[in-house]
Order: sequence, then C-alpha cells, then structure tokens
Amino acid sequence: MAKKLTQTRRRFLGSALATGTSLAARPARAQSKPDKLVFVGDNGMWHDCLYKVVAPDFQKQTGIRVDFTALPVDGLTARLQAELNGSGTGIDIVQWTGSYAGWLTPHMEDHEKLLAAAASRHPDFDWDDFMPSIRGMATWDGKLSGIPYRVTTGIFHYQKALLEQVGFNKPPETFAELQQAAIACTKAGAPVNRYGLGYMGRQGSAMSDGFCSYMRSNGGDYYDPKTWEIFVNQPPAVEALQFYGDLLTKYHCVVPDSLTWEWNETIAGGQNDRFAMVETLSPYGSLFNDSKASRTAGKWAWSVVPGGKSLAQSRTYFGGWSLGVPKGGKNQEWAFEFILMACSKKYMRRSMLLDNAPPRLSILNDPEMVAKYGWAPVAAQALRTAVLDPRDAIWATMELQLRTGISAVLLGEKSAKAALDQVASDWQRSIRRAGLK
Amino acid sequence: MRRRPIRHALKRRLFAAGIYAALLGMAAAFLFPLLWVLGLSFKTRLQVYAVPPLFVWKPTLENYIAVLRNGDFVQAFVNSLVIASGAVLLSLCIGVPTAYAMARFPFRGRSFLFFTLLVMRMLPPIAVLIPMYVLFSRLGLSTTRFSVVLAYTTFSLPLVVWIMRGIFEELPRELEESAWVDGASRYAAFGRVALPLIRPALVAATILCLQLAWNDFLFAAVLTDNATKTLPVLMAAYSGSDTGVDWGGMTASGILVVIPVIVFSFLAQRHLVAGLSAGAVKG
Amino acid sequence: MAQAGIVQRREGVPTGVTVPALQRAHRWLDGQFTLVATLPTTVLMLAVFGIPLLISLYLSLEGWNVSQALFGGRFVGAENYHDLLTDPDFISSLLLTLSYTIVVVASEMALGLGLALMLNVDLPFIGLFRTALVVPMMMTPVVAAFCWRLLLDPTNGVIDYWIGRHIVWLGQPATAQMSVGVVNVWQNAPYVAILLLAGLRSLPSEPLEAASIDGANRLQTFWHVTLPLLRPYFVVALLLRTIFEFRAFDNVYVMTSGGPASATMLLSMYTYLASFQQFDLSLGAAASWFMLVISLLLCLLFIATIRRRSTV
Repeated sequence: MAKKLTQTRRRFLGSALATGTSLAARPARAQSKPDKLVFVGDNGMWHDCLYKVVAPDFQKQTGIRVDFTALPVDGLTARLQAELNGSGTGIDIVQWTGSYAGWLTPHMEDHEKLLAAAASRHPDFDWDDFMPSIRGMATWDGKLSGIPYRVTTGIFHYQKALLEQVGFNKPPETFAELQQAAIACTKAGAPVNRYGLGYMGRQGSAMSDGFCSYMRSNGGDYYDPKTWEIFVNQPPAVEALQFYGDLLTKYHCVVPDSLTWEWNETIAGGQNDRFAMVETLSPYGSLFNDSKASRTAGKWAWSVVPGGKSLAQSRTYFGGWSLGVPKGGKNQEWAFEFILMACSKKYMRRSMLLDNAPPRLSILNDPEMVAKYGWAPVAAQALRTAVLDPRDAIWATMELQLRTGISAVLLGEKSAKAALDQVASDWQRSIRRAGLK
Repeated sequence: MRRRPIRHALKRRLFAAGIYAALLGMAAAFLFPLLWVLGLSFKTRLQVYAVPPLFVWKPTLENYIAVLRNGDFVQAFVNSLVIASGAVLLSLCIGVPTAYAMARFPFRGRSFLFFTLLVMRMLPPIAVLIPMYVLFSRLGLSTTRFSVVLAYTTFSLPLVVWIMRGIFEELPRELEESAWVDGASRYAAFGRVALPLIRPALVAATILCLQLAWNDFLFAAVLTDNATKTLPVLMAAYSGSDTGVDWGGMTASGILVVIPVIVFSFLAQRHLVAGLSAGAVKG
Repeated sequence: MAQAGIVQRREGVPTGVTVPALQRAHRWLDGQFTLVATLPTTVLMLAVFGIPLLISLYLSLEGWNVSQALFGGRFVGAENYHDLLTDPDFISSLLLTLSYTIVVVASEMALGLGLALMLNVDLPFIGLFRTALVVPMMMTPVVAAFCWRLLLDPTNGVIDYWIGRHIVWLGQPATAQMSVGVVNVWQNAPYVAILLLAGLRSLPSEPLEAASIDGANRLQTFWHVTLPLLRPYFVVALLLRTIFEFRAFDNVYVMTSGGPASATMLLSMYTYLASFQQFDLSLGAAASWFMLVISLLLCLLFIATIRRRSTV
C-alpha cells in the first residue's frame, strides 16, 4: 500500500514538474542574464576592435561586461585543454584555430543550430558572405563549431618602386621570374643591406607556412588525409623546396637573418626595409604600410604568390581564428549574441580598420577598404583557391617533423630530396604508430 | 708582523683595486641586458629596430603610460605580491622545521621522506600542470590565488628542505644541547637558538623561492582567471603571437616587474652575509 | 635527543610545586616535535603534488587520444615509453640534453664559485655588487630571453655591432647552442653564487685562523680548508643546478624553439611540443617521467663521484 502511494506521489510530482517547466518555458533568451561573459583567446594585436568597440557597445546594449583573457598560443592551448576536458567550464567564448579542430570541436556547440535559432533576430547577418572554404575552416567532422573571425592567407608583398628599378613593371608571376627579381633586387639593395626576399625561416610555428605557399604553387601537397598517401617527397614539393632553399644558400638573395625569423621578425624586417619581397600573411600588408612604425610605409603593393611555371598555378594556404561557444558554457545564448555582434558586417568592417583580417567577402571587396588596404582584394582572390592546412590530430606531430626537414635544407645541410625523403619516412612511422594505416 | 708597513698597505690597496675592477666588470656583464631592457622601455618601435642600434636617443614615456594605464596592471601586481609572499612564507614556515627535524632527530622514514621530496622535485612541472588543474577544480579552488600559492609551495618545499637540512647538519649541536639542558623545549631550541644562526641560508632560500614564485608563467596562466592573474600572465599579452612583439609594453612591464625583486634582494643581501658572530661560537 | 632521563626544570615554577598535567602535556608535545615539524610538509606534498604526480604517471601509461576525457583512454602499459625509445628524435634530444647539462652546470659552478669568492670581501659598496649579481636570475626569464634574442640579432643587435661581424647567432646550429648555453649560465651562475656565498659567510673562523697560524698561504688555505668546509653547499648547488638545467626550457623556447635543424631541441622542448603542440598529454607525461629517471640517475652519479673523491 505504501509503495503504491509512493509511486503515485512520484508520478504526480513528475508530471507537476513537467507542467511547471513547460509553463516556465519561454522562447529564445530564457537564460537569466549574467553580469559578465568570459572570453579566452590569444594575445595577437588584432583584438583591439573586440576590446575597445564591440565589448563596450555590447555592454551598453545588454548590460553584460565581457571579460577578456589574452594568452600566448601555447598558454591558450594548455588552458583550453585543461578547462574543456573537465566537467563544466567557466569560459563562455572560445577563440580557436584550425589546428585545434580535432580535439576541441567535440566540446563545442553546433553552431548551425545556434545560427538557425538566431536567424529571426539577426536577419542581415548574411552567413553566405562567408565563402564555403572559410566556413569549412570552422567545421570539423561535419559540425560547425564556431564563426570565423580572422582569416589570414599567404600573399606576395613587394615594394613596387624597387621592382620597377630592376625592370619589373608587374610582380613576378613564375618561380623563374621570382628568382630573377630576387637576385636583381639583392644586387641593387646591397649598399643598404637590403635583400631581395625575406623568409620565415626559424624552426618554429611559422616555418611551414613560410614554405607552404611555394610548395602549393608548384603543385605540391602534403598528404591525402583519406588514404594517407604521402605527397611531400614527390617531385613538385621537392622542386619547390629545392628552389626555396637555393634562393638562400646558393644565390644568397634572401636575408641571412631569416633563419631566426618568425612572424614578428618578418614584420619588423618589412618595416625596416630588409627585403624587397616576401610571401607571408595578408594582413601584414597594413603593418608594412603603417607610417607610425614602418620605414617603408606606403611603398608596398600586393599580388597572389608566383606560380611554379605560370600564374595559373598560384596556390596558397589559409587559416585563422574562429569564435565559438563551448558545450559546457553557462551563458550560451548571450555568448552567441556577442559572437554575432562581433562578426556582423558593421563590426567586422570596424575591426579591419583596427588590424583585423575579416573573412567577409563583402568587406574584402568593399571599395573603401580596397582603397585603404590594397591587400584586401588580393586576399579575397587568393582565398578562392587557397587550401586549408591539414587538421588531423596527427598533423601536429607531422608538422614538427616537417620543420626539421625544411630547416636542414635552409641551412644547406641536406638537399631537398634527402630532407623530404626523411620527412616522408618519419611521417610513415608516425602514421603507423597512430594506427591510422 | 709590522715589517715594511707601507708596502703592505700598498699591496692591500692594489688588491682592493683589483677586486673592484673585477667586480665592476662582472656587474657590467650581468647588468647589461637589464640596462638594455631599461633602454628599450624608453624607445618607440622604430627606435628599437634602428640600425645601427641606438645608444643615444630621445626617450619616450609612452610605454610606461600605456602599461600603467592598462587597468589590470595594478591588480596583477597585487596578485603577484600576495601569491609570491604567500608561497615563500608557507614554504619556509613548514619547510624549515621539517629540515631541522630531519637533521637533528633520526625518526622512522626520515630518509624515505627526504628521498621522496627530492624525486618529486625532479619531475618536470609540466607533467603535473593539467592534473593539478583537475585536482584544484574538483576542490573548487580553480582560479583562486590560493591554488597558485599551493602549487608554488610544492615546488619550493623540496628545495627548502634540501638546502636547510644540509645547513642544519653542519651546525654544531652544542648550543642546542646546552639549551635543552637549560630546560628549553625542542621548539624553543629550534626557534631561539638554531634559527638565528642560519640566517644567511634562510635568506638564500627565500631568494630562491621568490624567484620561482615571482616569475612562473605556465601554472599561473592555467590556474588563474582575469581577476587573479599574476604579472607574468599579464606580460604574456605583450609577447605577441603572429602579430609582433610589443617591445615597449614588454620591456616597460618587465622593468616594473623586476624592480620590487631588486629592492627586496638589496635589502635581503645584508642578511645574507651576516655570519656567525664569534660570541655565539664560543658559547 | 637526550631528554629521556633529564629532569627539566622550568623557570618560574618554584620547586616543590608540581603542575603535572601541564608538564606532561609539554613533554608530550615536545616528544611530538618531529611529527609536528614534518607533518605539514608531508601532507601538503602528498595532497597537492602527490596526487597530480600519480595522475601524470597514469597518463603516461595510457593510450590517450586528445579527443577523449582525461581518463578515457585505454591502458597501454609501457607503450608510450617504447614509442619514445624508438623515436630517433627523442634519443638525439636526450643525448643533446645530457651533454648540454654537463657543460652548462660545470660552467655555472665554476663561475658561481668565482663570483662568490669575489663577493665575499668586506669592501665598501660591496652590497651594491651583491645586488647586481642577483638581477639576472630575478628578471622574468621570458623578458630576459627576448632581450637576449634582440641583443643577438645580426642587424639590430648590439653584440654583432660591437664585434663588427654579421654572425647569425641563433641561425646556425653551433652558435645557437653556444648562445642558449651562455644565456643559461648568465642567468643561473648567480643562483650558485648566492648559495656558495651563504656558505662562505657561515664558515666558522677557527679552522681558517688555525691554518694561517700554521703558516699556510691563501691558496693552500682555500684548497685544503675552505673548499672542504664548503662542500655541503657545493653539493646542494650542484644537484639543484643539474636538476634545473636538465629541464631548462624558457630560453630555448623563446630564443630558438628547438632549432635550427633541431640543434637546440632539448628534452624539455620536446616534452613541451609533445604536450601542447601535438596535444599528446600521454606522450608528454611519459617523456617527463623519463626525464625524472634520468635526472635521478645523474644526481646519484654526482653524489657517488663526490663521495668517492672525499674518501680519497
């Protein structure tokens, strides 16, 4: 008898609870308003728009303060790994990059759903303004896990007057022309210690990108992520690496300091007139032309990177940062509101004026932006064919092994063939050990 | 031996001059990078990258203003101060007695404890970074300053015990034994007799613990949030990822961060060199 | 330790009046000294460090995939360690770290001893010099390393400017290794100097006086009296520096990231890359434990060598 009563009571309570919650359920912003949102990202200097424009406006509109944590990339990785692997997190907005996709995205919300839910409130967000390849940057395993905020691609920066001086009225379109221009510019720039080319040659995170645009423009590739067939020691990539290394070790038309250069030093090198040409990230164009910090301000022009044998072969890499809402986040709806605001046309446009490289096509091709930032349309053009760096979890290991190979070639210790054969065999070993093949 | 006093005085003065010269050279070599950082903190980005490097330039205060205007700087400074002093004090308060007990009283498990502490210290901290984070968040301590104090203390403790145990072992027992005979307890013997005698070593241990707690980045980055972050975490914002090092910000904050420790070291080194006075040894 | 039979007279307590309970409590507390002194340390280390240490050990025995929860991987025993030992990069990194540690620690000890001796004099203004000595190790390592990176820059740096040659210090393997080593010695010789200075200042004066009365000159006194008395401090400094240099990280990370061509890929850098670049915490944990074992062996080796030499 008692048991029956208990069961009845339980059922009664259960249904009462259900009714209660359905009565309490309200559409969309049912979550109570927090007083702050926690944003964890890296410490790149392009966050100014988020810090100084979007966050204050967001606070004015909603009364919610946004609390930013800026960490260097490795610190960010450590923090995200620690927090997201646990149960529940205090982070509301995560800034993440492509290489985190494998391990991060299972902890992120499905942003297609979030977009759909928000569509009625933000009709002019225009998700199609983001190219499919760019949307792919924030997608892994079929799930959209963020909204791309900053997209950088490798383009060709050159000092127009210097090239014209050595007879190039338009930028080099093939490797052969590039070599010619580099040698000529080095000779012309010898009195002022200026070389033809700059490289990101330090054995660090920039090295692969430094080589990647050369490799892809010669038709080379890393590997096939589905079959694990390795292409990096095939002729196109080997030729590209040999060309890349020879410019430094044989023809001496690359700044020798490049062996210690990563992102920052390349920027400084351009600002200090150390080289006439460089293949590096698109938004660096603004930094090279920054009259407050650059000795070469106003002298730069841009084009897509030279192709191996013809301009049509020109290919490059792209990557960047996306903003996403983690699954364990406590204020998901408000966090997504912030992301939508930051990624809206209006604020992304503002961000470009504050050193960001927004991925929206409409902004990159906006006449006012084109006039101000000559690299924007070039970036847009390059992005149409740019290839995303591999994002398999094993790529991190493979990329480290690749760096060793490239470094050996740049030091003149090995030929490209020998170095890349070694890289390929290292990759085979890693793939086998990970049980992927 | 007062033969030829003048030549003797001259030799002594030459010796002193030689020492001073060597000291100046050493100080110059050791201080030069700091002085260079000091100089960088007063340069604009263009001046930093000038070729050839500028030794004379028009200084600017913009870097310091930018750093101090950053609202978080003062808070981070306070956090660093609290955490560093907490870690150092805790390490000394519980480490020094342990070292004393190990040196003076053979108890069961003494060697084992000592050995374990050493071995723990040999594990690269990076291995326990994420497990420690998991532990603290389970205890509800994540993002608190206390968790960072605990973490730094566990790094300093083996150090303190190790150094101080060796010091205590070398200390002659007579003084303490006479104190015991006079009726003092072990605690009193420790606190009033042994402790004052090892002041230089205490200061040395303090400086070494402080160095660790003041300058660590990785653990602070993972275990704190914006409100509790320490200076190294704040400074990391200046070292740029793919958009360039903010030399002005980094060097200006670097100078502001190192000044307190220099002041502390200057005050402390006086105690570092207080030796055993003859009176105590004669007993 | 000789309390057992000694009657302890307490001052202020007139003889004849017994306060047995209080006295017993005092005596009990006194007997518990070792417990009271060592308990906090033990508890703190076990709880705050010991548990994460065991977790990390478990991680190193786990075949963990970065997309799993921390304990979600399968137990694979020694597989991670086997992977490390069969990775030629790890082996070359290990050998590099061993030779690097020996060279750098030896330099630090020698330089530290010299500094300590110089700073042991009682000349005026010596306090300023002692403070100057402490600066390199008190500077935030990352700031110092960035500064050195700038100083060693071939174009903007001061070093090349002064010697007039355009050497790309961090771009060639040999010079890169040298640069990282020099910066480490610069930063840490003061560490040794402080320890040895504390030792020098704590030396009892009698043996030194006895030696000079016996007619020994300065060099003989130093070699036969001072150094042996300094031995405990020396040993502590040697072991500490060995442990720390074996896992030196900040300078390599900032100055060379392990390059060029992996010439400065020390074990710490390898472990760091494994943990945070490859997102393989199990491999990183295994590498860390490996480093622990090697550190231990190195230290035991040093202790054995010193003990053997002292008995000679």
